[in-house]
Amino acid sequence: MATTARIFGNKRVGFGQWVIYALIGIAGLFYGTPLAWLFLAGTRSGSSLDSDPPFTFGSFEQMAQSWANLASFNDFQILNWALNSLIYSVGGVTLSLIACIPAGYALATSDFPGRRVILILTLVAMITPSQSIVLPIFLEMNLIGLNNTYLGLILATGFFPFGVYLAYIHFSDSPPKGVLDSARIDGCSRYQLFTHIALPLARPIVSLVAFFSFLANWSNYYLAVVLLSDDKIYNLPVGLTALVSGSGALTNLAATGMPIKKPEVILAAILVILPVLVVFLIAQRFVRSGMLSGAEKG
Amino acid sequence: MTDQIEKPSTATVDAKRARLAARSSRRDTIAAYVFLTPYLILLAMFGIIPISYAFGLSFMDTITMEFWGLANYEFVFSDFRIPSSISNVLSYVGVWLAMTLLLVVALSLMLDNINRRSATIFRSIYFLPGAVTSSAVVVLWLFILDPSVSPFQPLLHLVGWEIRADVITGLTLPVVFAIMTYFSQSGGWIVVLGGSLSTVPSEVIEAARIDGANRFQLATRIKLPMIWRSVVLMGILCFAQGLQIFVEPQLMMLAGPQFAQNDWSLNQMVFQYAFLMGDFGASAALSVMLIGVSISIALIVIFATRFYKLD
Repeated sequence: MATTARIFGNKRVGFGQWVIYALIGIAGLFYGTPLAWLFLAGTRSGSSLDSDPPFTFGSFEQMAQSWANLASFNDFQILNWALNSLIYSVGGVTLSLIACIPAGYALATSDFPGRRVILILTLVAMITPSQSIVLPIFLEMNLIGLNNTYLGLILATGFFPFGVYLAYIHFSDSPPKGVLDSARIDGCSRYQLFTHIALPLARPIVSLVAFFSFLANWSNYYLAVVLLSDDKIYNLPVGLTALVSGSGALTNLAATGMPIKKPEVILAAILVILPVLVVFLIAQRFVRSGMLSGAEKG
Repeated sequence: MTDQIEKPSTATVDAKRARLAARSSRRDTIAAYVFLTPYLILLAMFGIIPISYAFGLSFMDTITMEFWGLANYEFVFSDFRIPSSISNVLSYVGVWLAMTLLLVVALSLMLDNINRRSATIFRSIYFLPGAVTSSAVVVLWLFILDPSVSPFQPLLHLVGWEIRADVITGLTLPVVFAIMTYFSQSGGWIVVLGGSLSTVPSEVIEAARIDGANRFQLATRIKLPMIWRSVVLMGILCFAQGLQIFVEPQLMMLAGPQFAQNDWSLNQMVFQYAFLMGDFGASAALSVMLIGVSISIALIVIFATRFYKLD
């Protein structure tokens, strides 16, 4: 409070400031509580979830037990899904980097016929919500037989116009035109300029595009559920819903014979969320700079 | 916007140099397209071709593969579920947009009013739920909205809601879905608005304060007008995205068959036509119309508001 008063040169840090802090704190509860609860709930047994107060800590033994139930279910299916998610994400991120970084570089550094059209198409594709084009992609993949394959989903998620726009913004000011020009005079070809000069300096933008592409890939549900019909190649978000609907764990009905109940579902949800959460915590500053330059759609 | 300064044209130099320059610019063009090739292939494969193909299919009887004119469109418009899904989607978008505009703007302005370190901490807390996406949001909120396990249990009991069905009927579906999307997406926008607030020049704030503006007037009369463009962008993008809602209603069935909402939103109808009725033509027709709306919104954002850097 004292700091605020100094910054604002306002002697009366009174009622108004307290109201602001209170409202910000209440909002913090709204955003923070569900996540905090989820991670605590992962340690609790089903009966503890139903009868103990919401913020009870269970035990790590209980968590290990639920994890064992979840992991071994259906011949370690969830681990298979996690592996699939990893394959889709690594594939999708790699492909999107290969496509986005040079494309953004070309759009930013040279003026060529067709540039404006490509740029406008990129912006249109970036602003149009990705859900809207899921069915057309399915119809096309159906036609060429890439439905229900790893390759089909990876190719589709490699198309990442937001990444192109981020790279384009980045290469618009760096490396400075002067650097490129002098390298050119020193005999660098157009391709060497990119691989020897621009790319080594572009680490931040490569990580930024990789981050957003990972986020989109890891949490991909709608496209994945439409393209993938074989449960062996599900990713985690689709697997999570298959697990929940198959076990009826959230229906509060009489127990099915399956070992998948609320605690196991909670752990599965944590498994879906945790990688993104970890990346968020590590790369916060990154993410912010990306959001500020692109105001990303969801 | 900085206008590019016209370079002196090469018309004045002799023909040989002009030829060299032309060759060089041709090489530039070739190089640019080499760099763009992987992206352009993907753009064609997952943008242009699927949309064109769906557009073509929307005029076909997809079983006999005969040209059908507007029959698919007529079918979609005569489906009694379409008007109700339009009104569902619009009420959801209305609630979500109102929540986002009101709360995100208010929270951003308030965060701009407390000391920087606390603001950073709170902004991170608001931002973290962004990690909870797609199906995980729905699974998490089905727990949170269940009074028997919810961390907001006391609050829910206070209102008199004892079981999940009470909460869902009490809040109504548009509000439930709006809360889910708001929870995971508003933090990102608070970061974006925080960014635009930090570009408001301190002299302006100082001048207003000397003129006697209090904290509230400063926020509503000075800062808000200066970040207005970002607020409008947020509104348009949320509107476009809200129209496409699919995951949240589709996964309500996880809470049990009595909660299932299979034809609640327009995108679910697209899904229904394709995968339950096997009618790809009708599905393509509805999908093409939704894409048309989205692309029109995108073009408005690009050309009317000039938010994005084009040259």
